[in-house]
Amino acid sequence: MSSLAIISTLIRRELRTAARTRGYYLLGIVVAGTLLGLTVSGGGAATGYIPTVVDLLLPLEVLVPAVAVAIGYRAIPSDLGRGEVAMLNTYAVSPSAYVGAVYLGRAAVLSAIVGGALFVVGLVVAVAAAPDTGVFATHSGVDSPILFARFLVVTLLFGNAVVAVVLVASIAVASTRTAIVAAIGAVLVVVVGGEAAILLGVLDGVFSEATLRLVLGFIPNSAYRGLVFETVVGVLSPGASGYASPLVSVAGLLLWTGGSLGAAVGLLRWRIE
Amino acid sequence: MTNFDSTDSQQHHATGDGATAVVTTTGLTKAYGDRPIFDDVDLDIAAGAMTAVIGPNGIGKTTLLKTLLGHVDPTAGTVTYTGPDVDRPMGYLPQEPAFRPQFTVSETVDFYASLVDAAVDTEELLCEVNLYEARNRRVSALSGGMRRLLAVGQAVLGTPPVVCCDEPASGLDPSMAQQVFESLTRRAADGMAVVVASHTLSLVEMYADHVVILESGGVAAAGAPTDLIGRYDAADLWAVYDAAIDPAAGDGSATTVGAPRRGDKPTDQDTAVSGGPTDSGGDR
Repeated sequence: MSSLAIISTLIRRELRTAARTRGYYLLGIVVAGTLLGLTVSGGGAATGYIPTVVDLLLPLEVLVPAVAVAIGYRAIPSDLGRGEVAMLNTYAVSPSAYVGAVYLGRAAVLSAIVGGALFVVGLVVAVAAAPDTGVFATHSGVDSPILFARFLVVTLLFGNAVVAVVLVASIAVASTRTAIVAAIGAVLVVVVGGEAAILLGVLDGVFSEATLRLVLGFIPNSAYRGLVFETVVGVLSPGASGYASPLVSVAGLLLWTGGSLGAAVGLLRWRIE
Repeated sequence: MTNFDSTDSQQHHATGDGATAVVTTTGLTKAYGDRPIFDDVDLDIAAGAMTAVIGPNGIGKTTLLKTLLGHVDPTAGTVTYTGPDVDRPMGYLPQEPAFRPQFTVSETVDFYASLVDAAVDTEELLCEVNLYEARNRRVSALSGGMRRLLAVGQAVLGTPPVVCCDEPASGLDPSMAQQVFESLTRRAADGMAVVVASHTLSLVEMYADHVVILESGGVAAAGAPTDLIGRYDAADLWAVYDAAIDPAAGDGSATTVGAPRRGDKPTDQDTAVSGGPTDSGGDR
């Protein structure tokens, strides 16, 4: 049996599991309701996509990791606890195929929840905002749904990196109950700890302006914020950018995703032996 | 994810009774830090037979099974698989099996069946493990015993040459436990090497072709149930077990309330057995 066939079978299992988990529907409604509430109450809906992005950026830095923890912390510890990983171990399922499939399945769930909620927000802005937001192609300086689509893509890139961090943290502990603590702890360390380290570095003069732009790209939240500033908000005011390198930020998020998944595979091998 | 210390599909070993060994362990030793689990265990797991591993709780039966499966690395020694080169050489029934509660029995079996190359008649499999009537029931609605039956079905799925079952009868009523052993016996008759770790000595005595009694440090005795009973001049397998096992073995609770079920113990035979052989060397 090919690895591709096995991975697709495992991904289908993840998606069917998610589709039958009522809590995820509730989570989707809560996320969509929260984002819509912030959009309407912040005035972004009436003024355009970019004001909406500015309104939602900070809440999403908290909300997206929370969703990632909710959908990711139980996936592998539950399979370990039930003995399903041990059973799968007797099939031609490698730890990397298993972890990869669980990740892709859970990332798809996060994308559906967060992406769906942002899509609804985008529709609301399209209906409620000023008429000049209907421009699809022009030189910089005009609000556009394309910019909001970029924001959506960058948000999912950030969210899926956090899902990978949650998965590796959840495998490191012994039970499902402790997995949620580990997942939240890991996200806090990565998010708060990373930014605090940068702040201390700046205060102590460790980072110059040039190195700071580089370092910011390697902390998930900073990378996300930097990408939004540089590729979405900054487009409206050319020349005023310089928060973080978009390339480094994308590389940073992909590194967190790949590094976490690699560590998750190694930890899983260790757990089942 | 199956792996072995040594694999040689060409070389075939013979067991003591002439059957073909599909898994052979040589000097198998496992310790967790300073705590030895078993030491220098040599076993030949025969194709077409049921091998039962019995012993007190905490003595290392599960670890031995996991070592055979390649899930646990031995501290020393080797496990050699000499069976056919298939995508799933070994099936496994864990001690406390469970499945994703969101799926039905049928969907669960279909999922695992989709992971093997061989075509699987899932309806026939569900009939074999007595779950056909419950095939549309969610796993969350199954009793513990039914979940174990589902796990038995999963273990033999795709007809692997070897299947390791950890407590296949645990949590089942006597009739269902007997059915599980009968089902595994039929699989063995079809050529599968069935390894069970069990505390249900009456079923082991009835169905196993080969019994390995583990005690602290390794194998206390091994052989066909009738041979062991004859060797120890015992009335039944429980009496053999009682004579072969050091009362201090296991995790402390094992020899008083742990291992065999009370129904297996002929209490009036303790005295008779105590006069039997005390050599715990067995086939070690």
